[in-house]
Amino acid sequence: MSSNKTNINLWKRIAQIAGIFAFVISVILIINYAQYKTIDPVNTELINSLVENLNHNPADSLLRQQIRTVDLLSRKAYFTNQWQVRTGGYLLLLSLAVLVIAMQIIKSNTPKEVVVGETENSFLEQKNARKWISISGIVLVGIALFLALLTHNDLSNEFTIASMKDGGVDAPVENKVSDNETVIIKDSSEKEDIVLNDDTEKAEEVEEVVSNTKEQAQEVKTEKKIVAETNEKKAVVEPEKKLSEYPSEEEIIGNHPSFRGPGGNGISYRKNIPISWDATTGDNVVWKVEIPLHGYNSPIIWEDKIFVSGANSAQREVYCIDRNSGKILWTGEVKDIEGSPATSPEVTEDTGQAAPSLTTDGRRVYAIFANGDIIAFDMEGNRVWARNLGDPNNHYGHSSSLMLYQNVLIVQYDIKKSPKVMGLDFSTGKTLWETPRKVKVSWASPVVVNTGNRTEVILFAEPSVDSYDPLTGKLNWSVKCTYGEVGPSVAYADGLVFAVNEYAKLVAIKTGENPEILWESTDYMSDVPSPVATEELMFMATSYGVYLCYDAKTGDILWEQENDNGFYSSPMMVEGKIYLMDMQGIMHIFKASREYESIGDCPLGEDGMTTPAFADGKIYIRGNKHLFCIGK
Amino acid sequence: MRYSRIKTYIIKIVFFITILMSLQAIDVQAQRFPKPEFDSGHIQPETQVPVPRSDFMEFFDVFVLIVALSVVSWLVLKKRSRRGVFWVSIFSILYFGFYREGCVCSVGSIQNVALALFNPGYKIPLTVIAFFVIPLVYSLLFGRVFCAGVCPLGAIQDIFIWKPQQMKSWLQKLLGLIPYIYFGLAILYAATSTDFIICRYDPFIGFYRLDADFLMFLLGGVFLLTSVFIARPYCRFFCPYGVLLNLFSRVSRQHMTITPSKCIQCKLCENSCPFGAIEEPDMLKIREPRKNTVRRFLILAAIIPALIIVGVYTGSQFHENLAMVHPKVRLAQDILEQKNNPEIQNDSEYVEPLEIEAYRSAGKSDQQLFTEANEIIEDFYVGGMILGGFLGLVFGLTLAGLSIFTYRTDYEPNKGECLSCARCMDYCPVETTNS
Repeated sequence: MSSNKTNINLWKRIAQIAGIFAFVISVILIINYAQYKTIDPVNTELINSLVENLNHNPADSLLRQQIRTVDLLSRKAYFTNQWQVRTGGYLLLLSLAVLVIAMQIIKSNTPKEVVVGETENSFLEQKNARKWISISGIVLVGIALFLALLTHNDLSNEFTIASMKDGGVDAPVENKVSDNETVIIKDSSEKEDIVLNDDTEKAEEVEEVVSNTKEQAQEVKTEKKIVAETNEKKAVVEPEKKLSEYPSEEEIIGNHPSFRGPGGNGISYRKNIPISWDATTGDNVVWKVEIPLHGYNSPIIWEDKIFVSGANSAQREVYCIDRNSGKILWTGEVKDIEGSPATSPEVTEDTGQAAPSLTTDGRRVYAIFANGDIIAFDMEGNRVWARNLGDPNNHYGHSSSLMLYQNVLIVQYDIKKSPKVMGLDFSTGKTLWETPRKVKVSWASPVVVNTGNRTEVILFAEPSVDSYDPLTGKLNWSVKCTYGEVGPSVAYADGLVFAVNEYAKLVAIKTGENPEILWESTDYMSDVPSPVATEELMFMATSYGVYLCYDAKTGDILWEQENDNGFYSSPMMVEGKIYLMDMQGIMHIFKASREYESIGDCPLGEDGMTTPAFADGKIYIRGNKHLFCIGK
Repeated sequence: MRYSRIKTYIIKIVFFITILMSLQAIDVQAQRFPKPEFDSGHIQPETQVPVPRSDFMEFFDVFVLIVALSVVSWLVLKKRSRRGVFWVSIFSILYFGFYREGCVCSVGSIQNVALALFNPGYKIPLTVIAFFVIPLVYSLLFGRVFCAGVCPLGAIQDIFIWKPQQMKSWLQKLLGLIPYIYFGLAILYAATSTDFIICRYDPFIGFYRLDADFLMFLLGGVFLLTSVFIARPYCRFFCPYGVLLNLFSRVSRQHMTITPSKCIQCKLCENSCPFGAIEEPDMLKIREPRKNTVRRFLILAAIIPALIIVGVYTGSQFHENLAMVHPKVRLAQDILEQKNNPEIQNDSEYVEPLEIEAYRSAGKSDQQLFTEANEIIEDFYVGGMILGGFLGLVFGLTLAGLSIFTYRTDYEPNKGECLSCARCMDYCPVETTNS
């Protein structure tokens, strides 16, 4: 008994010593570690000063030797320190092992302590537990939401914007009013080939906005009054008020504001897009609605509203449709426009009177028709302004879609007589700039992209691909590369513009101050569908049914597929997939990859010539008669 | 007498380690690149490239695991020997801990399984599946015998238990929710190929490998020091694998009991469990009206869907914060910051972070990175919602469970929380009488 007690006392002593030793070692280790982490053996103050001296006296061999000695000492000290930390660690482990063994021996030789306390009131404890779990749950949710609030969940948007900028899709700048506008005015005044209207012309144009209704007349009177009251400064003051009205980057990316998505480059940034449906059975069709007047323009989207237009030789209409229900919310009639021809121009059946797609900035929606009528409605369907741009004199029918950049509505007006590109003030419709073009008639649409240092609007028509400044209309560059009747718009990605036209060639143009053709190909060419490109790949479809993928950098054909129906609709890239609808309305979905990988073929049940629009979880397709909402 | 026994144990342990070390293959030396030549005559040491563990040894690990689990089950259920369990713990510390350096480990295997389920490109080794499944099977059969003495993380804490303090049961229930959060996060990060956070923040791996970041040593030290007074804090309040073992053990076929026959209500075992896993008999003379209990239970059960919705919403809002842990998202953030502040690169003291430099040298475009980062964030959006919903469900079920009051007459182990360490058995006089 006594011996056992002595043994326990001995082990207690051992445990105490081991414990104290472990504690001391721990403290030393922490101090040593702190030193070891702060020392940089090759960058000490002493060595640095000696090296500086040596720089002044490079021939001083004694000093050189001294540096080497000090350097060696410093390195030795460092590695000694490292060794000490490691050895200390082993010692600590050993002392802890001794401590544990001692503790276990003491414990196994000590009679068990029986603690009989007061019995817990289980009911009360459960109540307490419920209370504290509820509180902690609320705190947890609160902290998570607070942290989420701090980051505003903007990361994804920031990446998308950055990705767009890098990929070349234009990401309009947020509403920074004065700086941008100063640039506009300054730049505009410098251009020789830009026709800036004087105040009198502006006043006249505003007069043209006159509509028949009394309210509209009143609005114009007010506007006219403002115009009359302003002097030369007006040009600066007026847009300043309006600049704040154009949408932010997030708003544009979050919508499908124009033909072929934001910037018109064929890429959508929406998510969870359906990959399977069958409109013949109604599978995954949320709704479908008949569009009263026919048109080949593609749907555009702003938040919960979809816009399309329709026309025949007697009527022209703009439709706003509720994205959720498919109900036509309002119909904007396009009539009583000053200068509008009494009879509509003759157009071919496969182009029609309403081929150009609309564009919107979420404040207004803008539409143009085959007779040159251009009109803006507000989101509630009230007419804001309208004018006629003159007879397009286009033998198939005008089809260039509209595009917006900041406060400028860009109109590619490649008509037979005096082709031009125009920048209209989005709020009044008056001409901000107008640049004549030396091109033939075309049916392509503008594409607005950021090519790194600047935003460019890229147009395509025989004989060239041309880049303009969207705010001033100044020609940035021009590359002659095509001939014939140009239908497809260009695609842009990673500094390369891809332009293709039937009977001519497919070219990849390297942009910049001195643009040049990087490669060209004549294997396959498109006459209607526009291409779409990523940094590495370029996808193209043809009206005779071949669709294929090129290596964007070399022009090599990576794969090709064929479809009997042919394509007029342009391919759209979304979520790493290509959506391409053939003329019979079958959507071919495949991976945007170097190797062809089909995801699905989804029928619409009616002919399809337009390009789909995308929203989160939904795809909107305009068939020959109906507008379809596909999704769940 | 006692000294000679300890001496014998130590000799056995040393012999055992020597045998194990001799089984390991000798390192193969290999030189991939030509060595630089030194004029000073310095001889460059040979590069040591350890050979991968042989298949035989990997299956031997599984065999050892099964043997250890079987031995503990036998010791707990048949022999009722705490001492035996203790020695298996020592064995586990030496074998699974110091010899196998804490890897492969059942606790971390959750992540491998999650990654394999969500990433078809990842081929999970059979041994990892075995380490994941086998302890769960034993838990289903015999309770948490893995925790009792086979898990090296639990064992190292167990030997530090000295003066364990009893915690209030409400506090224990509250802290007991942490493993569910850790479990959810570990699955999320593994499934999104972000990180194996259980391994990265394993507080004891540094001790077993005798090598770790200082902070990890510190964290491990804190856990071990805490173990002296709060028994096995990591197992009870952090271990994500414990979540699964707890659930499986609740329905175990044969679980250890405190008393070998009939409880005599002596109260001797009442505070014997350092983990607070003994359920006391209900001493309330007046029972709560059944109507109240049922009503409360129904209310709490009804709010479970609401809690899930709140969880889903919170998870969806918090997803970007969760995604920021992913290295690719972090890199994209750094590059974006660099792009947004190009002037910082003009600073003479600016040094481009290594990650950015490495990424750029790989020749990939920023656009690709941003796109990939966005895809990851999108994954986290879904993952965040699932995690939130899961936690909402856990909170809801816990609250509902706490409204059910079980009236019992004997001291019984809580089958979910009991670690089958067999300490309480030593306190039971019934066993002493019977033996």
